[in-house]
Amino acid sequence: MSSISSISSSTPVSASRSRRQAALYHLRRNPLVTLGLIAATLWILIAFTSPLIAPFPPLQQDLAKRLQAPNAFFFAGSDELGRDIFSRVLWGSRITIPAGLSVIVIGSTLGVIIGAVAGYAGGLVDEFLMRLTELFMAFPFIILAMAVTAALGPDIRNAVLALSAVWWPRYARILRGLVLEVKSQEYVEAAHSAGASGAYILFRTILPNCIAPAVILATLDIGTAILSFAALSFIGLGPEPSSPEWGRMVSIGIHFFDQWWMWLFPGLAIASLVMAFNFIGDGLRDILDPRLRGE
Amino acid sequence: MSFFRYFVRRLLLVIPILLGITVVAFIIANAIPADPINANLPPNALNDEETIAAFRKKWGLDKPLHEQYLTYLGNLLQGDMGTSIKTRKPVADDISSRLPATIELATLGLVYGTTLGVSMGLISAVWKNSLADYVARVIALIGISFPVFLIALIFLNVFYAQLGIAAGPGRLHPIMRAPPTVTGMFTIDALLNGDWKTFGNALSHLILPALTLALYISAIISRITRSSLLEVLNQDYMRTARAKGLRERYVIGFHGMRNSLIPIVTVIGLSYGNLLVGSILIERIFAYPGIGFYMFRASTSQDFPAIMGVSLLFAFIYVGVNFVVDILYFFLDPRIRIA
Repeated sequence: MSSISSISSSTPVSASRSRRQAALYHLRRNPLVTLGLIAATLWILIAFTSPLIAPFPPLQQDLAKRLQAPNAFFFAGSDELGRDIFSRVLWGSRITIPAGLSVIVIGSTLGVIIGAVAGYAGGLVDEFLMRLTELFMAFPFIILAMAVTAALGPDIRNAVLALSAVWWPRYARILRGLVLEVKSQEYVEAAHSAGASGAYILFRTILPNCIAPAVILATLDIGTAILSFAALSFIGLGPEPSSPEWGRMVSIGIHFFDQWWMWLFPGLAIASLVMAFNFIGDGLRDILDPRLRGE
Repeated sequence: MSFFRYFVRRLLLVIPILLGITVVAFIIANAIPADPINANLPPNALNDEETIAAFRKKWGLDKPLHEQYLTYLGNLLQGDMGTSIKTRKPVADDISSRLPATIELATLGLVYGTTLGVSMGLISAVWKNSLADYVARVIALIGISFPVFLIALIFLNVFYAQLGIAAGPGRLHPIMRAPPTVTGMFTIDALLNGDWKTFGNALSHLILPALTLALYISAIISRITRSSLLEVLNQDYMRTARAKGLRERYVIGFHGMRNSLIPIVTVIGLSYGNLLVGSILIERIFAYPGIGFYMFRASTSQDFPAIMGVSLLFAFIYVGVNFVVDILYFFLDPRIRIA
């Protein structure tokens, strides 16, 4: 595998261009990826523009108009305090999207650093870090995140921190393996003999050559991160109850089972966003793993 | 390697993991909250010097951290996980009275989920790119992308409230009485009692929540089954099996499935963690009084000792299930037996 990648990276531009063309070709042939890209872009646009496009502020109450089914005034109905569900769902994207992305960025960075240090340092450091990784993987990770959030005190920031704190082990494992592989390459030896420091070699010479798989894994993981965040806030370990956060809205909607619009629309918002990112991630994986490509 | 040696060797590997889990739980419970007393006692007990002193003494809070951990471990080994703030009862008692319900649900969910997942993956792999493959993949995609609590609400709304073809919330019809407790699992207890009516009713109440969990875990199982089987189907020995005239059913069912079982069994073990998380997310919706419902209530009311107790229990169960998977490898992978 490594020999193939080292050959292809040293071949002339035309080869890499044709590879890119092949990737684009498969991307175009997979309509689900396009659909995912459109849906994700749409949600991100909504997140930026919801203060402008939402018909109502997310917290505005109108007790006279509580629990109304979807109609021309409240497109997605109103909740138990007469707040507009449609506006709240739009506003909710401003919580969920940044939360999910933060978990991925913080968690994967942590994993990359831990894995890279373990692989590069070797010996006792490696042994200790890898046992720690195994220990974290022994927990079902959402349950560990629940315990950590409960200990920190429930709010959005703590939910994101707790999820990031349990997110890194898989990244650490993968990175360690890659670093071990790259460590023995000649250009690393060359950097050594040129007198570069350990940190320089690790972060400037080795890491750039093994970061790609971590980026791919991170893309595949965005959907899971969003679902996990929604799960935490569904059980009350996220934002406070009045917040227009989707998981929290579904959770409150349980008490209003017959007013289906109260739980269905925020739930579908989660599902559509997660599905969009999963479509993108799946397409990416199909392109990179030809064995699974549907020929 | 003999089975006994393999078993003992794996078992010895589990012990440090279990100890490690207690260390992590101890750190979360004692080092993260600003004040463990605040987090672990009900608000009205915080003015009561006597209660606070007793709590301090029991958990060794006036001693150095490593002694605190040993006290914690000692209490844990005696089955003491602290006292729930909400129910005012020992967490261990709360858990043991609710655990059978969740085991019953999770087991049925696992059976449904494995059946659904493996058959969808099998169909997808054998008839690759057929209509059936696409349908199976879309179902898997929904299982992966939809929050499990939304699936639960939709199922309950459609199959119970709208169509009326499934039993509603709870473990039994409200006018029925629970069977005499032996295992705590209503279906088994009813059978032991020879009470078919209660058995049928308990089972019908399990179907919707179990199907919800099944859809949730079958997605990942079917994906792994598909890719694992696709890899095996291209192998030379598959062609050989066909060339020597074996029936297709036998080629796929025996040579194909057998060689792709290891990743499938691994992912089934891992998805047990999803079953446990799923129970937390859906039991409240089905008003199903198990551990998941208990954990849900504990989280929404910040019942910290209860949250820690359930987390610890679920981590132990998860390690136990993956230990069983490890043991299964012995039978699935001949290389282990030869080595």
